[in-house]
Amino acid sequence: MTIEQREKWGDALTYLAAIVIAAFFLTPLAWLLSLSLRARQEVFLGASRFIPKRPTLDNFAQILSDPTFLLYLWNGLKLSALGGLGCLLVAAPAAYAFSRFWFSGKSALMMAILAFQMISPLVILVPLYRYMSALGLINSHFGVTMVYIAVSVPMCVWLVKGAIDNIPKSLEEAAAIDGCSRFGTFWRITLPLAAPGLASAFILILILNWSQFLIPFLLLNKDAQLPISVAIFNFSGTSNASTTQVLAAACLVAVVPAIVAFLLLQRMIVGALTAGAVKG
Amino acid sequence: MQTTQAATMAVSRRVAGPSLGRRLEANPFTWLVPVAVMLGIFYLYPIFDVFRLGLTNASLVGTGEQYTLATLRAMLENPALGGILWTTFVFTFGSVVGQQLFGLAIALIVMRGERRKLKGMVALRTIVLIAWVIPGIANGLIWQMLFSEAPFGAINSVLRLMHISPVAWLSDPHNAMLSAVISNVWRGTAFSMIVFYAALKAIDPTLYEAASVDGASGTQKLRFITLPQLRAAILVNSILVTIQTLNTFDAIISLTGGGPGRATEVLSLFTFNTVFRNYDLAGGSVLSVLMLVISLVLALGYASFLPRREVSE
Repeated sequence: MTIEQREKWGDALTYLAAIVIAAFFLTPLAWLLSLSLRARQEVFLGASRFIPKRPTLDNFAQILSDPTFLLYLWNGLKLSALGGLGCLLVAAPAAYAFSRFWFSGKSALMMAILAFQMISPLVILVPLYRYMSALGLINSHFGVTMVYIAVSVPMCVWLVKGAIDNIPKSLEEAAAIDGCSRFGTFWRITLPLAAPGLASAFILILILNWSQFLIPFLLLNKDAQLPISVAIFNFSGTSNASTTQVLAAACLVAVVPAIVAFLLLQRMIVGALTAGAVKG
Repeated sequence: MQTTQAATMAVSRRVAGPSLGRRLEANPFTWLVPVAVMLGIFYLYPIFDVFRLGLTNASLVGTGEQYTLATLRAMLENPALGGILWTTFVFTFGSVVGQQLFGLAIALIVMRGERRKLKGMVALRTIVLIAWVIPGIANGLIWQMLFSEAPFGAINSVLRLMHISPVAWLSDPHNAMLSAVISNVWRGTAFSMIVFYAALKAIDPTLYEAASVDGASGTQKLRFITLPQLRAAILVNSILVTIQTLNTFDAIISLTGGGPGRATEVLSLFTFNTVFRNYDLAGGSVLSVLMLVISLVLALGYASFLPRREVSE
């Protein structure tokens, strides 16, 4: 067999493997879509109706016309966005210091900040629950947002530092010569220049916050305050075989925003993820 | 605390000169105050308190706890704990091995496809990554619809179409663990894949050229170039994935709820149940400390594998 022939066989095998992998990763989502488009009778027909005979949007109409469900979506978006914004506000000054100052212990401090990422939110929520209820921060979006910020701050510092590192220092130096204070330079020059990087960090944290479950699950008890992740979990507890198609539709609605945000920013997210990767 | 002290000391050293504002902003620690406050309130203090509460008899609802070693002893002598730790180990080990092997295989396939300029490799990478942004809760619910023994369960209804008897994916204790691992691998593989992908891209291509000149086969290149070059990535990845898997909570509670029986009750779920179902705050704190210690040991291992960087950048 010549080398070229062998490469051709290799290509065929590569495609075969790629198709198997793609099928494994797409099937669960395809099944979810299939169930969500069925009427109740077709749900009981299982895989034989993978492509529903009479597809219907009734399930989506049912959940999207429910004002409570829309409220869950809104709560999810609100908490994720406030958490993301707050996180940027807290992390940006630190990221600036790590990027523009030199001081001893800098890399150790950065590693220490990253180490917090390894701690499960459950560990801190065990004692926090009691304080927060003493402070009246249970059942409050403010309390939940603060915990969101704390949980994502370590990663945010690293992401924003990377963004600031990419900005040339010369503009800041020019501003300093013109008499701008350091904070003024940071606020008026550095942050606007870092806007694309800040936006990327914001979107990534938005996606992660959208998935948050444990924090709102523990800290929020009132139905009207719940974000979508907790709401679908509660819904799954009350749903039964005859409402599976509605649960599937609800799951899909909860999942799609994260997928869309990811697809729009895939290049940036992959870049951010691989930036910190080890070079063997 | 330390940060503010250091800041005050640094400020007091330069007494005369520019205004206080200018002096504050010239000190890097001033800029770190917001992060220090957030991490102090929401991480350091709670961690300190978890250690303290573990030595009390605190309950989630009551007040006026007393210091005692009884909770610690009771928790360590709890006959369930051994089983829980074993379950946690099986779940974590299965997930880590599965994600690493699968992630490496996909990264190698994507790399090969890119080298041969095959179409669809970005699409493949994207499809794998989509699973990664699925919220953990949704992950559990979606896989429940696949594993279900009801008529709408995808896998069993396919098996029935093929006249194979359905499998009790979630109601049989042995299968339930396998199902939990599969669903976790589905979501977690993307992370391993992307790390391996980045590491593969960083391998010096001349190594492969030299090997080709020497007549090395594809398997030999994988065995003697790729895998040794990926050593650091594999180690670091294993530790990171292990920590992520240990902290997994939402994907399990929505898939099996820890059952059937206690077949899939991992340490994080056990901690949650102890505190928020049994209101045993002290017992849960002991378990939290256990989780912390395991993570800490793994994190130290991780730090020791990181490439040494120059201090000044």
